[in-house]
Formats: sequence, C-alpha cells, structure tokens
Amino acid sequence: MQADLEELRITQKELENLSGLDVNEVFMGSAWRPSIIRYPKRLLSFLMTEVFTFGLILIFCLPIGLIVARSFGGLTGDASSTAQFLQVSLGVSAAIALLWNLYMWQKGKSLTMLAHLLDEVDKHNEIIAAVDVIDELGSVKNSTISLIDRREVLAALTATRESLVCALMTEKILRKHKRFIARRHELFSNIETNLATLQHLQVTNQADEYGQLLNEALQIGMSVHQELKKGT
Amino acid sequence: MKYFAVLITLLRDRTLFLEEIRQGIKIESKIVSLLISSSIFFAIYGAIIGANSSLPQVISSAVKLPALYLITLIICLPTLFFFDILFGSTLAFNQYAALILTTVAIISVLLFSFAPVTLFFLVSIRDYEFFLLLNIAIFALTGLIGVKLFYQGMQFVTESNYKMFKSREPLVKLDQAEDAPDDFVKVQDATPVEDKSQRMRTKLLQFWLFLYALVGSQLGWTLRPFFGAPEEPFQLFRSEIESNFYQQVIRIIFTVLGFQ
Repeated sequence: MQADLEELRITQKELENLSGLDVNEVFMGSAWRPSIIRYPKRLLSFLMTEVFTFGLILIFCLPIGLIVARSFGGLTGDASSTAQFLQVSLGVSAAIALLWNLYMWQKGKSLTMLAHLLDEVDKHNEIIAAVDVIDELGSVKNSTISLIDRREVLAALTATRESLVCALMTEKILRKHKRFIARRHELFSNIETNLATLQHLQVTNQADEYGQLLNEALQIGMSVHQELKKGT
Repeated sequence: MKYFAVLITLLRDRTLFLEEIRQGIKIESKIVSLLISSSIFFAIYGAIIGANSSLPQVISSAVKLPALYLITLIICLPTLFFFDILFGSTLAFNQYAALILTTVAIISVLLFSFAPVTLFFLVSIRDYEFFLLLNIAIFALTGLIGVKLFYQGMQFVTESNYKMFKSREPLVKLDQAEDAPDDFVKVQDATPVEDKSQRMRTKLLQFWLFLYALVGSQLGWTLRPFFGAPEEPFQLFRSEIESNFYQQVIRIIFTVLGFQ
C-alpha cells in the first residue's frame, strides 16, 4: 500500500485511543456491536464467543454445585438424582449466561452513537482498501485501469478521516460527561436564580461601594448568562 | 481466533506481556482470552484422560480438569491479593488475576503439549495404574515449571515497582564522606530494608504456592473421578471419602512396583 494511502487508514489501536474503549469487530468496550448481524464472519465470531462463555460458566458452576450438593446430602450417586443435579446446574448456568447477555445489551444501549461511528470507520477503511487495489492494478504495465483523479480522491478521504476522528473524540467527551450534560438545565436555572438574587441585592444597596462591587458582579453574571444562552 | 492470539503473544514474548500487565494495558481482554484458551486446552487434556474409561467419563473429565485449576485459582486469589497489599504492593486485583492466569495458561499449554504422549500410552498400554502414575508425573512436571515461571513473573512485575526507591549510587562518594555535611543521607543504608522486604515477599509467594497446592489437591480429591477406575461404573463423583490424596499416590506407586 502506498504510504500516503496507509496513513489515511484508521487503525484499531487508533480507534482504541480515540474512543477510550477496547474496540474490535465484535465488541466495543464491554458491549456487543449491533453491526455483527450484518456480516456472517462476525456473526460466527459472536456465536463462538457465546458458546465459549457458556462453557466457561458451566465449568465453574458444575463442580461448585457438585460440592455444595454433596455436602448438603442432596446427591446419592444413582441416576435420577444425578440427572436432577445436572438439570439444576445447567439451569443455573443458563441463567447466569442470560444475565451476562442482558448486561452487555444494556451497556450497548448507551453506545449507539459509537456503534454508528465505528461502522462508518469500517466503510472508510474498505474504501481505502479498494483504492489500494486500483493502485496495484494501475501499477501493472500496459494497464488501462487507473483512478480518474487520485489527488482528489485522497483529498476527499483525508477530509473524511478528519471528520471521523473529530466525531470520535467528541463522542468520547460527550459520553464521559453525560451526567453534566443531562443536568445542564438544572445548572442554568441555578445561574438564573443567582442572577435574580444579585439584582435584588443591587437595588437595595445602590449608593455605597458595596453596591459598586455588586454592580460589577451583576455585569459578569449577565455576560456569563448570555454566553451560556448562546452556547445551548 | 483472537483468544489464541493473546496466548501466542504470551508464549512468544513473556517479558513484554508481563510488562503490559504491569502497566495495566487491556487487562480485561487478557483475562478473558487466557481463561477461554486455557479452559480449552485443559478440556482437551481432560477428555484424553477420561477416554481411559468410558464416554461419559470423557465429558466429565473435560469439564472437571479446567474447573480444578480455575476454581483453585479463584479460591486462592484473594489471599494473595490482600497479603501482598499488606506488604506494600501497588498492583490492582485484576492485575493479580491476569498474572496468575498467565501461569495457569502456560501450564495448560504444557499439558496440551503432552497430549500426544498421553494418547499414545493410553492406546498402547491398557494398564490403569501405570496410566495414573504417568499422568501424576506429567501434572507434577508441568506444575513445577508453572511454579518456576510464576516466581519469575511475580518478581519481574513487582520488582519494577520497587526500583524507584533503589538508587544505584550513593549521594556522597565514600572517600568524601568525612567532609560531607551532617544532613546528607547515606543512601547505601537504604538498601537492606528493601532486601528484607523482598525476602518477605518471596516467603509470602512460597506460602501462597503451598496453599494453592493444598487447596488444589483437596479439590482434586473431592472432584474425583478424573480417570475412572476400570472396575467401577461411571459415577459423577465417588460417594465414599477414603484417606487422602498423598496416601493414594504412595499406594499406587507400591502397586505398580509390585508390592501389594
């Protein structure tokens, strides 16, 4: 791949830095990516992960259940009680696996924007791979295949890359400060009540130096209020 | 598959892997990958030793062998963590989990590498006692290598936390010591304290390994049968609790050697 094309790719390591989470084809952080349904290879990876996790939970539950059941005298060593024990253990394992999946799905709900951005990054990388293929075909002698205007394509890809990187960084910041953003109306109403209090104080203390200080504080408060109103 | 990729990274460059654990890079994904890959290797080896008896025993051993190692690990992990914190370690709980899992994963790979040997002996020699003894030897060998690597790993990871307190050179050269003002601290005096602390932590590691062996052998005894004695029918567990692990080993050695 040519060097200028290579640096337009968004690598997995870069994605992890930008989003602050451990992302790959199937996971983002500790949640499933919704796009795994669309690609059979990712679906297979997802299914295998599910199978392995269920196996792991089984490995932990069965022996612990065995020890617990035996110490409480539940097992007698004949076939029917063994079968019952197995059913109970499998049920508990299935319940734990279900709980884990619910947890992952819940986590995924707050990351829908990131999921969309990651799909866009995948498409961007695919376009770069396609351009690379055309480049290689074009480098063959006597070839008639070439990009119509390589420079423009690269410029467009650079612009896309910039906007994707900015979007990922913004998403990370918004996600990290979700609580503040949810509370912004409360914060603004606090500022407004403080402003009203300042105005009231100003009217009653206009004449003296204290009143001058209050005047300045009021000016500052009003300009802050205006800036914030502009920002929302 | 990416789970095995993590394991292969561990095997190829253990120092780099341990360094990443010390810095806390992608610990959760390391833990999950090592759990899954080591379970798979243990399950395969467990299936082989269960094949000595019958099909249900194959499945039973394939589930019990990973459980043996992993549950022992979970039982003993808090002890290691809290004792080490008491002696001044700065690592987090998940870093300890990842460290011990590297040891368990390496043991699982070593066991898996003995699988063809065990399979060969399973097929060619139909002697239960000999097979048992062979496997005990294999488990002991892999356990010893795992222990040695565990020591190295722990010392590598925790030593780096102590390096910043050790200085290589004294602040004042010894021949100028008489001229030095009184408030200069002679740094050489600092090192004996760190040596003592290091020895304490090595002793702690040894104690913990002994604890792990104790819990592991008791769990193994409780979860038996792993091999399935030829004259007994398949049972999920043996309902009689007779003697203990070490007595049995001695009895088996005597039987194979012909005294009994």
